[in-house]
Amino acid sequence: MSQTQTDPRPPSEEQADLSTSDGLVARVRLILSRRTEGRAVALLMVVWVFTLLFEPLVWTSYEVTLGRIALVGLVALGLTAVILMGELDLAVASTLAVSGVIMASFDSLAVGVLAALATGLIVGAVNAFFVVVVGINSFIATLGMLFFLRGAAFVISGEAPVRIADVDAGIAFGQPVIGPLTPRMLLFIVAFVALYIFLSHVRVGREFYAVGGNRQAARDAGIPVVRRVFTGFMISGFISALAGVINTLERTAADPTAGSTVLLASFAAAIIGGVLLNGGRGSVFGTLIGASALGMLQVALTLSGVQVDVQNIVIGSVLLLAVITDPSSLRAAAVTARGLFRSRSERQPTG
Amino acid sequence: MTAAADAPGGQVPSDGDTAPVIEARNVVKRFGGTVAVDDVSITVARGEIHGLVGENGAGKSTLMRVLAGVLAPNEGEVHVDGALLDPGDTRAALDAGVSLVHQELSLVPEMTVAENILLGSTPTWSGFIDGREQRRVAAEALKEIGVAVDLDEPIARLSVALRQFVEIARAIARKPQVLILDEPTATLTPAETEYLLDMLTRLAGRGLAIVYISHRIPEIFAICNRVTVLRDGSLVASKGIEDLTPESVVEYMVGRDLQLDRESRRQDPKIGEVVLSARGLRAPGVNDIDLDVRAGEIVGLGGLVGAGRTELVRAMLGADPRTGGETTITLQGRTRRIVSYRAAIAAGVAYIPEERRSDGLALTMTVVDNIALPNRSALSRAFVLQRRRIAEFATSLAEAVNLRPPEIHREVGQYSGGNQQKVVLAKWLGREPDVIVLDEPTRGVDVGAKVEIHRLIRELADQGAAVLVVSSDLPELLELSDTIHVVRDGRIVGVLSAGEAEETTVMALASGQREVDAA
Repeated sequence: MSQTQTDPRPPSEEQADLSTSDGLVARVRLILSRRTEGRAVALLMVVWVFTLLFEPLVWTSYEVTLGRIALVGLVALGLTAVILMGELDLAVASTLAVSGVIMASFDSLAVGVLAALATGLIVGAVNAFFVVVVGINSFIATLGMLFFLRGAAFVISGEAPVRIADVDAGIAFGQPVIGPLTPRMLLFIVAFVALYIFLSHVRVGREFYAVGGNRQAARDAGIPVVRRVFTGFMISGFISALAGVINTLERTAADPTAGSTVLLASFAAAIIGGVLLNGGRGSVFGTLIGASALGMLQVALTLSGVQVDVQNIVIGSVLLLAVITDPSSLRAAAVTARGLFRSRSERQPTG
Repeated sequence: MTAAADAPGGQVPSDGDTAPVIEARNVVKRFGGTVAVDDVSITVARGEIHGLVGENGAGKSTLMRVLAGVLAPNEGEVHVDGALLDPGDTRAALDAGVSLVHQELSLVPEMTVAENILLGSTPTWSGFIDGREQRRVAAEALKEIGVAVDLDEPIARLSVALRQFVEIARAIARKPQVLILDEPTATLTPAETEYLLDMLTRLAGRGLAIVYISHRIPEIFAICNRVTVLRDGSLVASKGIEDLTPESVVEYMVGRDLQLDRESRRQDPKIGEVVLSARGLRAPGVNDIDLDVRAGEIVGLGGLVGAGRTELVRAMLGADPRTGGETTITLQGRTRRIVSYRAAIAAGVAYIPEERRSDGLALTMTVVDNIALPNRSALSRAFVLQRRRIAEFATSLAEAVNLRPPEIHREVGQYSGGNQQKVVLAKWLGREPDVIVLDEPTRGVDVGAKVEIHRLIRELADQGAAVLVVSSDLPELLELSDTIHVVRDGRIVGVLSAGEAEETTVMALASGQREVDAA
């Protein structure tokens, strides 16, 4: 309660004007100022302009682009649910690989798919168990799962790709069903809509924000925090497994090395989309835009013949730029810099 | 003046007339070895505003957390409407109608006002949030307390004062029978405070039972019907406001045996010229401060937590940015302006901050490393630290401060709080500072170590250092200081010499009971 701990910022006058004014422009500005997706939109615009000017192939061969976005985006959507609660799930890519391998090791495709999805749910539950019941930091807990599951994928598959039971079904799965949309894209859209509704209009999902934004307040308000964290990790696990199923079907074989680039790409998509790594802020809409920008950028670079290594440099730079331009990161950086100066001057009194 | 007089039903809350809504019986709460609340019973009736006062650490917040079911008491029980409350069950307390407005704000910054007001009891329609109902209930609660704020605004974009009101709206939205507020005015301006007090009186008039915790005596007398005073965890008085005066409340709050402390006061300190001097100092929470500390003098800064003492000291030393004024240090006839913390250190200042764990010590390092930290340049030759010299140096200092056990290669984190504080002192003693500033030097320290620390501080002053001590511990302040400056709301409201200072005078100044200003 000491006055030092309170935020000295007074309510800005501009803000007061906005909330009382009924003007359409003011209204729009107010709504925009409350959104977290700004930087993702800006990046997407830049990517659009550049691709239209220099690599229109990205637009003409839109099937490729959409496929890429769906690949990066699906896992990122599930991840968003976990990050919103202030936790991390590093096991997503390994979950993708192991569920694909499990799916392929069944003789019946249907049973395999169900087993794969169940695997995702179980992995999520185990992660959540370690994080909220045992009390391990989620970075460590899911890092352990990352190695465990990747290893398991190699052991189960015998270190080689496994063909799925029904190769024809796999080939059919890769074909467009509605217009140019393949089942992968449709599933991505379904997952997006479902998660969007869940996180903004369903009480349980909306309470994820409270769990991530101020966990003590959530507890005080009687929100069952442990159950929410379980739900979040299980969503992430399930969606990772779904991505594994889709990958396996499209390739007609399960590859234990699958998804090696997915982990970082999905984190990047969420963060560019404005999801705060400490939790409490962000939206799946932002993640969608982040994934779109990132997916288009990758396709554009690939089509322009840029090497994969150079692509990584570009994506890394974009990610850093996105984080640096986050207003709250800027504030945090300023505080850190002040703290650094303070502690340093305290330690080095060259008297 | 009392709320009940305006109440529509004309309820006069006194013991006989109305049955208590909430009743705590013989509550005892211990934390480890210390007893925070010792056998306290308190009852609050419908329409009553019950003031709960006491010094820092008297057990007010603990008692209130027991009432609200946040903490389970070790002994005793809480009844609401005659029914026993499940100890330590927040949910049960909420359901029984006990709402707590936390001292620390417990809102979710990225969620909207409406969402925060209904957090935990979000209205739903088969799982889906009923946004219209959510906004309706939130609007109603805000209307009830008469505060206008956009329901869709995220909390992070509101001012601190508005957040405090949203927090109260949240408590109101739960339709409580008992509302408990812990220092709600700590972050409010005088106008906002007045608004809040009016609002509470109005709410009590409608039959709500209110427990109001505050350091500020004028607020207590403005709205409360009854006052309970806690001291060192025990109930020392519980009376109707008509039987109390501000003076008597302060006396109940302080009421120690004052004899003991006198004996260890310094006799005839040798006080020299002004060394540390601030003129017109301004900073956030610091209002136009003039302050002098002389060589050989111990100046105490008294006041309530949050009065701005720490801010004052930090601004004075350049550790936090100032908005005006200047600080000088005069040694051997040479006056230097202190423009930065670096400059303060270079001029011979030792500053021992309040949070020694975070600011003053590296807990995972050994005693010798911690002591050597500020003295590196003196102990190295051509940038190479001289191990043996450092060890000798550290050992002699550890002996000087009576570190127990005196093992200089032990990690500091393994020592008790009192011994850690001795290490902090030893670290700065090694530099023989001319100015030493200590913020709450004995907080969380046992009695034995406290005596040692006091002895060290006196020794420093005897050697001619100018000493400035911030302390919320009144006996300590009176015992150590040659001069006491009392701070309230970032201003010095009184200067007392060792002879004339009494606990009651300091407390009266600090709580604003004496010299009430325009607010």
